[in-house]
Amino acid sequence: MRLLIKNCIASLSIIFILSSYNALSQDAQKGDLNISLSYFISNNKIPYVLAKVKTKIDGKFQMVSGINLNLFLDKDSAGTLIAKVVTNGKGEATAIIPPSLKNEWSSSIKHTFLATFAGDKKYESSKADLTVGKAKILIDTTSDRKITATVFEMKDTSWTPVKGVELKIAIRRLDADLSVNETATFTTDSLGQTSADFKRDSIPGDAKGNITLVAKIEDNDQYGNLSIEQSVPWGAKFVGENNFNKRTLFATRDKSPIWLLLMAYSIVITVWGILFSLVDTIFKIKKLGEQLKS
Amino acid sequence: MENLNSISDEKIIQDLLPQKFNRSGRIWTGVLIAICLVGVYAYYRQLRYGLVVTSMRDYVSWGIYISNFVFFVAISLVGSLITAVFRLSRVEWSTPLTRIAEIIAVAAIIFASIIIIVDMGSPERFYNLFIHGRVQSPIIWDVIVITTYFFISILLLYFPLLPDIKILLRYKETNDNRFKYLAKFYSFLGSFWKGTPEQFKLSERAINILCITIIPVAFTIHTVTSWLFATTYRPGWDSTNFGAYFISGAFLVGGGGVLVAMYVFRKAYHLEKYITEEHFEKMGKMVVLLALLYLYFNINEYLVPAFKMKKSEEAHLTGLFTGEFAPLFWFAILVGMILPIIILLFKRGRKPLPVFVAGIMVVIGAWFKRYLIVTPTLLHPFLPMTNVPDSYRHYFPSWEEWAIALGSLAGALLVITILSRIFPIIPIHETLTEQHETAD
Repeated sequence: MRLLIKNCIASLSIIFILSSYNALSQDAQKGDLNISLSYFISNNKIPYVLAKVKTKIDGKFQMVSGINLNLFLDKDSAGTLIAKVVTNGKGEATAIIPPSLKNEWSSSIKHTFLATFAGDKKYESSKADLTVGKAKILIDTTSDRKITATVFEMKDTSWTPVKGVELKIAIRRLDADLSVNETATFTTDSLGQTSADFKRDSIPGDAKGNITLVAKIEDNDQYGNLSIEQSVPWGAKFVGENNFNKRTLFATRDKSPIWLLLMAYSIVITVWGILFSLVDTIFKIKKLGEQLKS
Repeated sequence: MENLNSISDEKIIQDLLPQKFNRSGRIWTGVLIAICLVGVYAYYRQLRYGLVVTSMRDYVSWGIYISNFVFFVAISLVGSLITAVFRLSRVEWSTPLTRIAEIIAVAAIIFASIIIIVDMGSPERFYNLFIHGRVQSPIIWDVIVITTYFFISILLLYFPLLPDIKILLRYKETNDNRFKYLAKFYSFLGSFWKGTPEQFKLSERAINILCITIIPVAFTIHTVTSWLFATTYRPGWDSTNFGAYFISGAFLVGGGGVLVAMYVFRKAYHLEKYITEEHFEKMGKMVVLLALLYLYFNINEYLVPAFKMKKSEEAHLTGLFTGEFAPLFWFAILVGMILPIIILLFKRGRKPLPVFVAGIMVVIGAWFKRYLIVTPTLLHPFLPMTNVPDSYRHYFPSWEEWAIALGSLAGALLVITILSRIFPIIPIHETLTEQHETAD
């Protein structure tokens, strides 16, 4: 009996030690987060920052959701806070540069975006930064379907053309952008310009034939992601087949197909015409009987 | 009816005049009224508490009400078969059966209309069919064609009755106790009938027109009823063959109904001289033919899909062949078709009693067959619903549904019983005319 009690105590002690070790080991296995920042500006309007958070699990990067990030402009202080964001299911969070930072934004031609994560039970604290210079794209078209994109950067207080910037000139489609011709990318010349001939004549546009052209710089080390759009009537007019509110078998009662109405009414009128004539026959028979009576 | 030659006109009239209920008749009527009253009470509960008193839920939204509806529509087709088809084909032996067939048709179509309103839940929804109904919908076609068929059936019952009403009114004058309370009703219906050649000419013409009209309408009523199912995309209903399948089944159950009614009226009213063994012999042969035809369509409807056994239809088909509906399915096939065929194929089986038994089998089998057409399909949709209670995946009618369904069946039988009490169950005038023609 004593041996049994000893064994029990020994077993419980081992279990306790192992579980304590396991509980302690939770703190020791905090993960590392990798934060990356991207800068976007569309149509030279409101710029925004995109933060992506990932971690390595079993040797593979996986996006992490629910991470609280603080985004700052230029320096980590309360006065330069862009936003406090939380990553979504894809491990992403975005924030526009708020109007409260207008003065800070205007005061410099280059800015550094900072993202900080304070750490939590699962992950160590982490931070990232991204420096971009102010730039913009202009797009112009001619009647002979030539598209010219010009890239400028802010130097001192004026916009100056930039040479050697790689960009894409494309047509906006539903899922992805389609290049306007066989050339995939274009590079700006000394005037900051590049031109492309539009060679997608038969591409479907909207009901008026409008399509949207886009000139964009992607993942540029100096300027980030810039894009500009312009609508042009160069597409084929799209005539959609829409049976809504037309005479179909599945339409409302006032939109029955004419052929069906003709068939149905002609059958009903014929049959009921015969039946009413038979009812009339009853009255004729009745009349004959009453005549005989009188 | 060769043996009628020796019977006087007066005797024939006396034999065929409607008779007061005897004790059995009163008990029979009382039982039917009692069943109807239980059905009315169940319907009151349905009106008060809503369709929740039924077992119909999101999966099975058409239960035994619709099975009953299809059954009634099917059996009503007998009016067109016996009266119209036989009359136009000059099948003279069918004369004693025409009124029976017409009465069954009228009773069945009345209750087909009633049961469809019961199925709607709130009866005022019927009004919505007219204010919101779409001519593109088979449901509206069904409403139109049922109304039309009902009207034709009433006219087809009424026109051949006119000469008989004259005979009935003659007995009113003799103060015959049988017609004490019915005299005014007979006068209202046909006191103007004097039996002049002009009246006969008009009446004959009207009957011929009705016989021609009722055949396409009868085909339409059951084809459209089949389209209520076949125009939807569901296992077991997705068939181009449904119209013909339903019509053949309708003729079979109608024939079976006539076999039963022939036997019962023959016994109850002692009509052995008028509904002879020859009638059973010939109707028996007719029903064999119809049963074989319906069996052929059944083989088509089940064997071909079973041979392919598409994944989406597998649950439905195996449910019928070997699953939860298998006992009912094989009962309907065996009792509703195969056994009646075996009984009626042999001459000895075409005697009155075996014919009656076969008729009962056909009618009962046909009712369950309608249930099998309607319900199992609804339990196996192509796209099953998610997160429904498990009880939704099974269907067994509540007592209210049973009471209403049985009440409607009893109601149809009550209408047949009352009409057979009011009117001669065998056309008197036509019988006399045929007897005179045979004698000449």
